Amino acid sequence: MTVDWVALIPALPAIAFALLAPLPRALRNRLRWLGLAAVGGSFVLSVMAFAAVWPGGVKGAVAHDASWAIALVGGVDLSLGLRLDAVAAAMLLMVTIVGACVQVYSLHYMRAEERVGWYFAVLTLFTAAMLVLVLARDFLTLYMAWEVMGLCSYLLIGFWHEKAGPRRASQKAFLTTRVGDVGFAIALAIIYATTGSFEFDVVLGSAADWAPGVATAVALLLLFGAMGKSAQVPLHVWLPDAMAGPTPASALIHAATMVAAGVYLVIRALPIFEASGVALTVTMLVGALTALLGGLVAAVQHDLKRVLAYSTISQLGFMFLAIGAGGAVAGMFHLVTHAFFKSLLFLGAGVVIHATHAQDMREMGGVAKSLPATSVLFGVGALALAGVFPFSGFWSKDEILYATWKHGHHLVFFIALFAALVTAFYVARLWCRVFAGPGGSKRLVEGHPVMLVPMGLLAAITAVVGVAAPAFSEFLGYTGHWPDPAIALTSSFVALGGLALGWLTYGRRDPVLNVRALVTRAPRLYSIVEQRFYFDAVYDRLLVRPYIRATEELSRFDRVWVDGAVNGVAALWRAVSERAWEFDVRVIDRLVNESARVSRASGSTLRRLQTGRVQTYQRYVLGALVALMVWIMVKGA
Amino acid sequence: MNDVGPSAFLALAAVLFSLGLYGAVARKSAVMVLMSLELMAVSVGLNMVALSRFVTPAEMTGQLFAIFTMVVSAAEIALGLALVLAIYRQTRTVELSSIDTLKG
Repeated sequence: MTVDWVALIPALPAIAFALLAPLPRALRNRLRWLGLAAVGGSFVLSVMAFAAVWPGGVKGAVAHDASWAIALVGGVDLSLGLRLDAVAAAMLLMVTIVGACVQVYSLHYMRAEERVGWYFAVLTLFTAAMLVLVLARDFLTLYMAWEVMGLCSYLLIGFWHEKAGPRRASQKAFLTTRVGDVGFAIALAIIYATTGSFEFDVVLGSAADWAPGVATAVALLLLFGAMGKSAQVPLHVWLPDAMAGPTPASALIHAATMVAAGVYLVIRALPIFEASGVALTVTMLVGALTALLGGLVAAVQHDLKRVLAYSTISQLGFMFLAIGAGGAVAGMFHLVTHAFFKSLLFLGAGVVIHATHAQDMREMGGVAKSLPATSVLFGVGALALAGVFPFSGFWSKDEILYATWKHGHHLVFFIALFAALVTAFYVARLWCRVFAGPGGSKRLVEGHPVMLVPMGLLAAITAVVGVAAPAFSEFLGYTGHWPDPAIALTSSFVALGGLALGWLTYGRRDPVLNVRALVTRAPRLYSIVEQRFYFDAVYDRLLVRPYIRATEELSRFDRVWVDGAVNGVAALWRAVSERAWEFDVRVIDRLVNESARVSRASGSTLRRLQTGRVQTYQRYVLGALVALMVWIMVKGA
Repeated sequence: MNDVGPSAFLALAAVLFSLGLYGAVARKSAVMVLMSLELMAVSVGLNMVALSRFVTPAEMTGQLFAIFTMVVSAAEIALGLALVLAIYRQTRTVELSSIDTLKG
């Protein structure tokens, strides 16, 4: 039997999980490197896959295609299929590199955890699911992997499930993404009803011929699913809370890969969106709104990881914006670059949090002095996030801006530009608060080499991968181009301007821009942003609390009426049987006892007659004789 | 002789019977009770002789019955005394009040 080597890419980590999961805890902890070995193997195979696709350049070209029938349900042939094309190959490399880096980093970061083996097992399963999702050749396989990732996300966010915060966050993440998944599932049903197939080739090939309403409906439902997974407004609320999980898990899941699944879905289903047209505009607007709101909220958060979480939301917004504006390849490229620099930033944040034992940026400051290596690596990621030349973020953001402008969405272009400005601003704020500034007197422990090496690898990729932008476009079958000078200059100006603004506000001892004054001048505006645009509060008020109240009502109904009915019947029967018992005791037993008592009493009374003395008996006979005679005499008379 | 009517005999017999009855009921000694029984039997015999004499003088039925009664009484007293002796051997007493093994 020949083993399909493409299938091995997701199969290796899946097998590693299957091996690890049933082991006893101590043994699993010792074998935690198994996951890393599997992901490493996947990486090697991914490089082979990339080589197989290389040099690409043909849109929709498929290098490898395989499917396995898993079930025949009611005449419907369900099969799992894997397909390797240029988009998948690029994603494979990204997922395996980031996945391997995070696993290496976690070897040290999570070493003291009691359930470290389980952590690595889930991390590996997650990687396997992401790889299946990337390689899926039909919507059903993609959906399956999608849901497994949702599960892994839940498990990793709630890794410290003995604490209430992570527990609640994991439930919130699971439920919120489930809301989006419902849209996805309905879309799948419509797709199957329309085309009779789940395969990308069949579905996407016929998308242009669908009735116009169908394409729009399917596209919007798919978008809804993607919004849940990729944390787009208004389904973004779970991502900041997901920071309750271990930091490396955040790096992999909530920055680099899982949240990218939504973007990837939209890119995969792009022909449906294009057939609809309206859906593309909606995608763009959702992205623009998310990019803007996420960036603004990130600028006022105090928790280091939350800043990064909102930054992720904002950057995912950029990707949706790009896809909606017609720059799918730009969105895809930003997806890849963002995965590298955001996981780098999260891993860096992990080192800082480990060293300072704090997550609130107000308690940090001057970290750069004692953590030079981490600072440099984090700085690379931060500059890439801000979009500074020549780091990768600059290139991908430039492509997004270019695509937006080229397709004539000028308003959205300026929104994106403003969001980029805010991005640079909060990057500067974060840097000034954490790495620069006062408070560096404390001696902090620099990250262990096991943590710094994967960060260094990610930083190196972040620093150089941007140049590959045109090649990347051509690899995917689009026309590549070098940055448009006007837009590159504008975006560089905006990025540097944002950084400068942030430095002026937070970097100097006597700030040129006084935040406090700004806050006091527009308190209403500030509190809206500070309260994260009230999304959580509104959901809490409109959904969570009514839901909880409804369940409480239901539970009361259950207790009062259902339990009441059951208990009532029980009580009734009890009463009836008590009456029966009483009847038994009072009437039947009494009858028996009374007859016994009467017998005994009459016996004991009568026994007195029987004295055993003959003369007594004689007296009775005499008495009776006398009585008889008297009776005869009276009667005779 | 003719002045004496049957009622005198009947009265005497009644007195004798009553004395016997009293003795049988009230005496303590089994021997005395036996003697009282004998007294009652005698009164019955007297009644029979008297009534035979006055009611059916032509026949001897009553007298014959009286002789029967005496025979039966003799046998009865022999049996009774034997019983009393046997009881005495068992219990060293002939007091009827202390003989109550039939008590229920």
